[in-house]
Amino acid sequence: MASVTITNVWKYYGKTVAVKDLNIHCEDGEFVSVLGPSGCGKSSTLRMLAGLEHISAGDIHFGDMRVNELEPKDRDIAMVFENYALYPHKTVYENMANPLRLRGSSEDLIEKRIAFAAEMLEIEHLLQRKPMELSGGQKQRTAIGRAIVREPKLFLFDEPIAHLDAKLRARMRGELKLMQRRLGTTMIYVTHDQLEAMSMADRIAVMHNGVLQQLGTPQEIYNHPVNEWVAGFVGEPPMNFFDCELVEEGGRFVLVHPAFRQMVSEAQSALLRGALRGTSVRMGIRPDQISIGGKSTVESVAGTIKVTEPLGGDTLVNVDLKNAQLLVKTHPDFSGAMGETCHLTFDTGRWHFFASDNGIAYF
Amino acid sequence: MASRDVVTYKTPLSRLLNVVIVIFLAFYLVWTILPLFLMFVSSFKDLLAAFQLPPVGAFSQIGIFFDFEPTTKHYYNLFYNLGFSTYLMNSIIAAGGSAVVSVVLGSMAAYSLSRVDFRGKGDLFFWIISTRMAPVVAVLVPLYAIFRGFDLIGTRTGLILAYTTFNLPFAIWILKGFFDNVPFAIEEASMVDGSTRFQAFRAILPLVAPGIGAFLVLCVLFAWNDFLFASIIGSGGAKTLPPATRELVQPQNIQWGSIMAAGVVTTVPMMFLGLLIRRYLVTGLTMGAVRE
Ligand SMILES: Nc1ncnc2c1ncn2[C@@H]1O[C@H](COP(=O)(O)OP(=O)(O)O)[C@@H](O)[C@H]1O
Ligand SMILES: [Mg+2]
Repeated sequence: MASVTITNVWKYYGKTVAVKDLNIHCEDGEFVSVLGPSGCGKSSTLRMLAGLEHISAGDIHFGDMRVNELEPKDRDIAMVFENYALYPHKTVYENMANPLRLRGSSEDLIEKRIAFAAEMLEIEHLLQRKPMELSGGQKQRTAIGRAIVREPKLFLFDEPIAHLDAKLRARMRGELKLMQRRLGTTMIYVTHDQLEAMSMADRIAVMHNGVLQQLGTPQEIYNHPVNEWVAGFVGEPPMNFFDCELVEEGGRFVLVHPAFRQMVSEAQSALLRGALRGTSVRMGIRPDQISIGGKSTVESVAGTIKVTEPLGGDTLVNVDLKNAQLLVKTHPDFSGAMGETCHLTFDTGRWHFFASDNGIAYF
Repeated sequence: MASRDVVTYKTPLSRLLNVVIVIFLAFYLVWTILPLFLMFVSSFKDLLAAFQLPPVGAFSQIGIFFDFEPTTKHYYNLFYNLGFSTYLMNSIIAAGGSAVVSVVLGSMAAYSLSRVDFRGKGDLFFWIISTRMAPVVAVLVPLYAIFRGFDLIGTRTGLILAYTTFNLPFAIWILKGFFDNVPFAIEEASMVDGSTRFQAFRAILPLVAPGIGAFLVLCVLFAWNDFLFASIIGSGGAKTLPPATRELVQPQNIQWGSIMAAGVVTTVPMMFLGLLIRRYLVTGLTMGAVRE
């Protein structure tokens, strides 16, 4: 087991910058997920941790040991690749035995470890098959099995379940999390799927264009995104954004949008007062922080229902405001026909304001 | 594999086409097999019987071809009087040796060209292939001079080296294509598992086995059929089958029977090699793709 410290790490491929000045510290035994859209430098980061990619600048430490120049085989890590990367000509058993064989373990030990891993992953009956004869989920379990037989210092998982179907993915999320908790091994888990990151990780590192945006617990990332990009990327369905103006009235701010006027609370006004630059802000509010109903109230905003999408457990409602659109998530028995007028109430305690120039969050 | 059945409907035209194809194949078969067949039959004939031919156009007398007492005296002559066992051995060693050396060096070179990025890689690769672009005769004289300097003329080592000179670029070129098709991730997984670069290279060798098999055959064929190098570099101590056969044509006495027998001795091993490795050849040369 070891902690992992990434200090001012850069990665260049020729002129392309894949990772910019990355700093992440990951505690011993922690499950850290690196989350970001495709091409944001997640795999590059992981491959530098594995020693498969040269580190252009900066340092990586495992515990106190600097590993920049260490060969992959000397780093005592185990990696699961996005495309599984099994040895096609070897059986599942031999695939899993390989890391132990390379380290000269005895046959007894190999058998014991594989039996343990195979039972945990429920692939005991597949041990004599070749990868070609396995389904995607089984291949992926084999790849994980190969990673866990050795009890390494650090797990590196690169989108291991991205190619599975939705149902299997949901199950694997739980299983992987349980597995990591049981083994207690430090885990760095790369994914573009926020659901995976939110549900499994102790902490999430959100990356965008090679830059770390925010590092925090799933709750922090979800409830206190540091900027507009993180707020928009995390959360499903995504957050609604509005370009607004702030005017001061009687010691408090009022948020003005062509379609609505909303009072800003005392506490939020206080937060804005020191920091605010200019008068325009971007307001962000999640679809489940808006309630929708037929009756108008003092604070409510009138809109027109454009379309409703019943999802079973919830219903999504697309609403047209005067010159904006928004998405509301409401209870499944919401009845509103297309074109009807509806009244929206914002949960103003939980909305977010972002600077309109650089997207940084005021709160 | 998804089903790739294609539904076809028989039309008069397609039936006619089938007939034409069968006729063509029949002719082609005769065209291909007949010389080999004649060679094979004649090698068991005594010289007189070999020249008994039916008159032109007299197809009814074709049985005259088969009306002979089989004899193995030509083979006996080859191996006991003319020393063909040595020449056969020379051929096997020269062809096999150069194939093995080319594959060992070629696979390592191809692997590094496929995997490692370094300055001037494209130029280096082109230079390697370009050595194959010059015709063999163009390099024969300088090669002869160099080999004589090292006392390699007339030795098996000399022949192996000469064939390797020509097979190695070819090996690198073919095998690089096969390595390019092996996903990086497999050897990366191997390195993370704890292997060195060289162990990782060995771990993916089974995946390029079709390529190696295909190349071995091409390499052996090139050396086995070679006449030019064999008669110049190998002349003297390391005579192989083709020049040895050529020597059976003497001004006052063309030993047809022995020539036919030598032809059989030269052809049969390659035919068996072809049969043995046919599966590899087809998959090797056509697909080359190795998917995980
Ligand atoms: N071997 C490479 N050569 C050149 N560019 C690369 C290479 N690998 C990745 N990149 C580039 O680096 C960026 C980050 O890639 P990657 O780390 O694979 O992203 P992610 O895993 O988040 O999708 C991308 O723009 C990609 O095109
Ligand atoms: Mg990736």
